[in-house]
Amino acid sequence: MIILAIDTSCDDTSAAVLMDDRILANVVSSQVDLHKDWGGVVPDIAMRAHKERIEAVIAEAIKRSQISDLRFQKHIKKDEKIKEIIAKGMEKIEVIAVTKGSGLAPALSVGVNKAKELAIEFDKKLVAVNHIEGHILSVLAKNRAGRPERQIEWPALALTISGGHTKIVRISGIGKYEVVGETLDDAAGEALDKAAKQMGLGYPGGPVIERLAESGNDNFMELPRPLKDRKDFDYSFSGLKTAFYYQIKKLTNEEINEHLTDYAASYQRAVFETLLMKYGKAIDEYKVKSLIAVGGVMANQKLRKMLGKLARDKKIPIYFPVKKILNTDNAGMIGLVGYFQALRGEFVENKAELDRDPRMEIGN
Amino acid sequence: MIRIGTKDKKAVEMAADVIKKGGLVLYPSDTVYILAVDATNKSAVEKLIGFKDRWAGKAISVAVLDEVMASEYVELDDNAKRLYSRLLPGPFTIISKGKHKTAKGIEAENGTLGIRIPDSKLIADLVRMVGKPISATSANLSGRSPHYSVESLLGTLSKKKMEMLDLIVDGGRLPNNKPSTVIDISESEIKVLRRGDVVTGKSGQTVISKSEKETGKVAEFIVKKIIEKSKDDKAIVLALTGDLGCGKTVFSRSVARMFGVEGKITSPTFFIFNEYEITKSKTTLITKFLHFDLYRIRDKHELDEINFFDLFEKGSVACVEWPENMGEEALEELKKKVNWVPIKFEYIEENTREIQY
Repeated sequence: MIILAIDTSCDDTSAAVLMDDRILANVVSSQVDLHKDWGGVVPDIAMRAHKERIEAVIAEAIKRSQISDLRFQKHIKKDEKIKEIIAKGMEKIEVIAVTKGSGLAPALSVGVNKAKELAIEFDKKLVAVNHIEGHILSVLAKNRAGRPERQIEWPALALTISGGHTKIVRISGIGKYEVVGETLDDAAGEALDKAAKQMGLGYPGGPVIERLAESGNDNFMELPRPLKDRKDFDYSFSGLKTAFYYQIKKLTNEEINEHLTDYAASYQRAVFETLLMKYGKAIDEYKVKSLIAVGGVMANQKLRKMLGKLARDKKIPIYFPVKKILNTDNAGMIGLVGYFQALRGEFVENKAELDRDPRMEIGN
Repeated sequence: MIRIGTKDKKAVEMAADVIKKGGLVLYPSDTVYILAVDATNKSAVEKLIGFKDRWAGKAISVAVLDEVMASEYVELDDNAKRLYSRLLPGPFTIISKGKHKTAKGIEAENGTLGIRIPDSKLIADLVRMVGKPISATSANLSGRSPHYSVESLLGTLSKKKMEMLDLIVDGGRLPNNKPSTVIDISESEIKVLRRGDVVTGKSGQTVISKSEKETGKVAEFIVKKIIEKSKDDKAIVLALTGDLGCGKTVFSRSVARMFGVEGKITSPTFFIFNEYEITKSKTTLITKFLHFDLYRIRDKHELDEINFFDLFEKGSVACVEWPENMGEEALEELKKKVNWVPIKFEYIEENTREIQY
């Protein structure tokens, strides 16, 4: 089954082509320098930016997937060329999968509208995918050669962390989810971004903090571990952010800069320990066979190490996405969910009426 | 003793009749159950004081309809009027110099009188029908805590006391709102004598929150006022400014709850805004709640591209965090389109915030 997948849930415009669960091409616009003629792009939350590049990104994915013979006889204009590549690709593509939610409403509409348009024009089956499910199943992604061959045993417990979400999800099988914990206010990635901004560092703050934290003393500053004593598995990062802010606020710029690495390390530790504490409790509660850790913040090596240790202590295997591109938002993971949904026959019945769902929930 | 439920259409009328005849009525308010008598009727007031076992020198606050009615009974200068329009109706008792037009025992020994204009249609209707100020003292014996249900009070009364009640208007179990905040403005310096759910700052022009819970109460209070005052159906935009961690998100969440938004309400920093349809609206006119966090916005064109200006439809209420990030030009454009309500949060100390609106 050849699948075209589209994700425009936030900043990144992404398209992928899959053959069953094998990702043949996975193009993310803000990470890939599209051909200059097609309009080089910068990360942007803008809907217009998605609109401008969506077709070029789809065409690029089709090109890289090598599903079609794309030799053109004569030189044609770039707009026409993009259209022609898509049309050629559509001869092979059987299913279109698109992120329906959660995400930024206007951004989501761009992907949803494009998917509808293509599905109707070329008479393809359409699958509406949950973005968070995409992240969770990203650990099952295979390359063109069908590797890695992971046999993940269910039930599993997933920790999904990014700038937009922080959830603990129980998975009893593919397509069967239950959220057992989530943030009540800020996402973990957002908590890192905001702290970075308070220290006068750039956006996104997560990677900057990670780099600084490497050489810092993570015991330098005392910070709370929010909701530590609550029995549920919910998170709250707003109080931690506030506590950090008011400690930093008392200091001069010189004082902050002198111990920048220490503040970064202490804060990062507080965020990660909070994440692990609840996750660890949930693991004990639900007695699962596998652990899954996904989302943009999983690009952080320190967090991966901490989670790796937690998994070893609990004697349960843990799975991370195999490639860097699979941590952050990408259409490859959406295509994978689309594949499983298509196997179950879960297609959109009325294509013209498919609508985005910015606050789409998973499971339950 | 007669007992009638507030659902009975005759309840208010009956209570007004009893009060006009000098009777003592147990009545639900926006905070706790109160003991209502005609505050200008000498024997009724004596009965009330007898009921409460209370020494006569301590003042009994009264409920009136509005500022005009209040000015018949207390001295109100311009400052006081400003304070009234800011805080009332609401969970406040404002003490001013009395005009000695109530029965003995209502004003304090020093001639001051506490005025309440409760945010309660039941009370307003009652006062309107009686045509006089009514006592609004909490229904408890002196030194005991106030009551939120009729049963709870009756359980503490002797048979004799029970017989003193001429009518009970039963409003069921009241929400757990604290008794009103008491503010004394009879001297040049404003003093807070008792802390209720919403507490004013030193000038009386701001409110102080000492916890997330209080910030929630403040949100409810402020938003009610704003909705009462809005004259057209333009979107209402609460522009929340203040440092990180000052309670802007807590405030927004409380506003959402007020309008009946259920489920989790998380910070929209990442997605810029969250939209909630209001199906079970408590105030029928509001159909949509928008929660913006413009923390990540650096440029006006980013707003244009999320169709920012089209989001503020009629009948919507929006909380906008970091409105300053949209820039002057966008700010001016939006202000023309909507009812713009600036609300400022200031950090005082670790758990204390001052909120200006």
